[in-house]
Amino acid sequence: MRKYAVVYRSVLMENIQYAANIAMGFFNYFVFIFIFIKLWEYMYRTPGELIAGYTKEQMIWYVMMTEMILFGSNAGSVAGEAAGDIRSGNIAYLINKPYHYTLYLLTKYTGEWSIRLPMYAALAAVIGRVMVGPVPGFRLTAVWAMALCVILGLTINAVFKLCISLISFWIEDATPFQWLYDKLILVVGVIFPVEIFPKTLQPLFKLTPIYTVCYGPAKLIVDFSREKCLEILAAQLLYLAAGGGLMFLIYRKGAKKLYVNGG
Amino acid sequence: MSTAVKNQLRVCLLSVQYNIMREMVNKVTFLTSVGFMVLNNAAILAQWFILLRLREDVGGYTMREIMLLWGLTAASFGLAHILFARAFSLPELIIGGKLDAYLVQPKNVLVSVITSSTSVSAIGDFLYGILLMGLCGLGLREWLLALLFTVTGTVIFTAFALLLGSVSFWFLRMDMLEGQVVMGMVSFATYPDGIFEGVSRYLLYFVVPVGMAVYDPVHVLVSFDAAMLLRVLGYAVLLTAVSAAAFYRGLRRYASGSLMGARV
Amino acid sequence: MQAIRVENLSKTFRVRKKEKGMAGSFKAVLHPQTEEIRAVDGVSFAVEEGEMLAFIGPNGAGKSTTIKMLTGILYPDGGRIEVLGVDPTKKRRQLAYLIGTVFGQKEQLWTHLTPYDNFRFSGAVYDLSERETEERIEELSERFELGGFINTPVRNLSLGQRIRCEIVASLIHKPKVLFLDEPTIGLDPVVKENIRLLIMQMNREEHTTIFLTSHDVGDIEKLCRRIIIVNAGQIVLDDSVEHLKRRYPDKRAEKMQTFESPAGHVEPSAIPLEEIIMEIYKSEGRDVSP
Repeated sequence: MRKYAVVYRSVLMENIQYAANIAMGFFNYFVFIFIFIKLWEYMYRTPGELIAGYTKEQMIWYVMMTEMILFGSNAGSVAGEAAGDIRSGNIAYLINKPYHYTLYLLTKYTGEWSIRLPMYAALAAVIGRVMVGPVPGFRLTAVWAMALCVILGLTINAVFKLCISLISFWIEDATPFQWLYDKLILVVGVIFPVEIFPKTLQPLFKLTPIYTVCYGPAKLIVDFSREKCLEILAAQLLYLAAGGGLMFLIYRKGAKKLYVNGG
Repeated sequence: MSTAVKNQLRVCLLSVQYNIMREMVNKVTFLTSVGFMVLNNAAILAQWFILLRLREDVGGYTMREIMLLWGLTAASFGLAHILFARAFSLPELIIGGKLDAYLVQPKNVLVSVITSSTSVSAIGDFLYGILLMGLCGLGLREWLLALLFTVTGTVIFTAFALLLGSVSFWFLRMDMLEGQVVMGMVSFATYPDGIFEGVSRYLLYFVVPVGMAVYDPVHVLVSFDAAMLLRVLGYAVLLTAVSAAAFYRGLRRYASGSLMGARV
Repeated sequence: MQAIRVENLSKTFRVRKKEKGMAGSFKAVLHPQTEEIRAVDGVSFAVEEGEMLAFIGPNGAGKSTTIKMLTGILYPDGGRIEVLGVDPTKKRRQLAYLIGTVFGQKEQLWTHLTPYDNFRFSGAVYDLSERETEERIEELSERFELGGFINTPVRNLSLGQRIRCEIVASLIHKPKVLFLDEPTIGLDPVVKENIRLLIMQMNREEHTTIFLTSHDVGDIEKLCRRIIIVNAGQIVLDDSVEHLKRRYPDKRAEKMQTFESPAGHVEPSAIPLEEIIMEIYKSEGRDVSP
């Protein structure tokens, strides 16, 4: 375990260096949120109106939270690194290191979001307070449960994105599959809460990782209840176990193939 | 002068041809990239079906205008990344010292650099854009306008990226600026301008050139306005001149990777 | 006539500093510290047309920075450059027609294409007509013996074959001055020797001026009459290879033979050039001549 702690620490240090660079990403986060504030201001005609059961403030806070998870974790870079290592053949050297490659990447990822997420959370809080107003019915006492859900959510996201990257063992370029996964998360989980979709589709969406990656944690922040929290946590643990298992499996198969082909 | 231009064009065409040949080496990868990018873009239409179910227009745009907006943005962005992909990753070349090869050629450095690579997925963007505009039922005159605006949009996107990328000549740490702002610009370019008003509208015309690149062209396509058309053309020329000037000014500060060893 | 003339050339880079550890990381964010490095510091020299010159120095001495200023890649902070009467800072494109460059560590070819396609591209870059290009390719591929692999994609070639192609690509327009930045790096001794012979042949037949940087003493001894050594951005030595050996006698031999040697006459040194150069590098710019 200690070696992972060392990896974590050095990534953390490196990322402090890049704090200014990370803050450059604020621009895009702000652009996204700004567009959505304008969009929902246009869509909600009367104050107090409900769309899919959400007030305007809740709707905007929902997007702010889902985008915070995506921007604050940046799972794309960890997935990109894995795909790059495999494609360049670099993986042959990393595979024999005294750590598990995927866990090493996830540790790096954790080191990265440990800096990024708090930065984005602070930004979201500021933008939200200034441009939207406080979250209706936000409970400070439940903040730890929310944080836990967010962290689990972004870890699950990274695990799934890593799984897709690991397909690079078999096909030359897995990026197109990353796009589709990202788009699915974006359209179904990030910009709208699931409730906005036709009733017939909703149960289907709740089965996808979207429910545990974005929708769950964001819903909890916008509209907290103890039962919902336990339900989401349970689903997340289930998904983490399944996704993690899948990741180890794909990696083992891929690594074996690598040995057969001699790298 | 005209032979110089001809020679330059010959090199550019050869360069684009070689770039595409490089990407075509693996046909399966090439086709999945293009095809998935079309799908990827098409997925976003779901968002508009949802929004237009809630209200009959969004910022004054119905589905047809949304499709024109998306079509123009995707086609311009796509064409810019097919022909001038390197303009969008300039900081990497500047900081990594990868401009050397272009500087020892007796050709226009700027043109050689920006045409030196291509993006395959951009072909998907471009096809998607054309396809989407095709679904809008444009007449001949509108088609000609749409193609003209695809070109001006390409020029504006590329020139703006070039301008931002050139900042890296002065500030090494601004290497993320270009990617960030271009991404933000594309975000704006895929939402109706009707939802923005006041200061933000002003910014979209004068700071991030989304207004000139896509909003005005969509308005001209919906109802023709010669003054607006001329404004777009003039802006494209002006922005190109400013960006090229910034690039050449910055080139004097180019360090050719000599800093790499010393950088912490 | 002089092919290259450089007067008081200088270039300064600014780099960021960071102290070690977590605290250093924080400090670097809050108060970025920069440091000026004078990569090239008042360098002056001239090269005659048809000359073969070795421009050497330890890593970070300013060799590459100088070569890049001469070829128009870097913009100097001060001083004057004339290559074949052209100022690279003012007439970069005009200069490019006259010179050729080979950077051993930087790929200039398209790796997915064959050498032949690459040369055709070079031909287009230098405005040669299709026919001129074909003729030149034929001539050079014969001389550099590329026949066996001229239609094999560059990425499938060995390093030795690749560097030969790099050199051919840079010669397509018959440059008058050829800049070679570590052309033999990473090559095996046989290929190295082969490359040197080709360079020598070209110098003889086309009267091409050769400006060479290399860490390989073999390159220098076999190719160059004259040697310039830079260290910390300044020229510490500018001499003929022959004379350098003479004025740097073998100290070991000196000790043994003091009594036998007639005073005032020094035999050419018996120590290898490599050791002499190493000695000069270590002395960090002080004049080492006895």
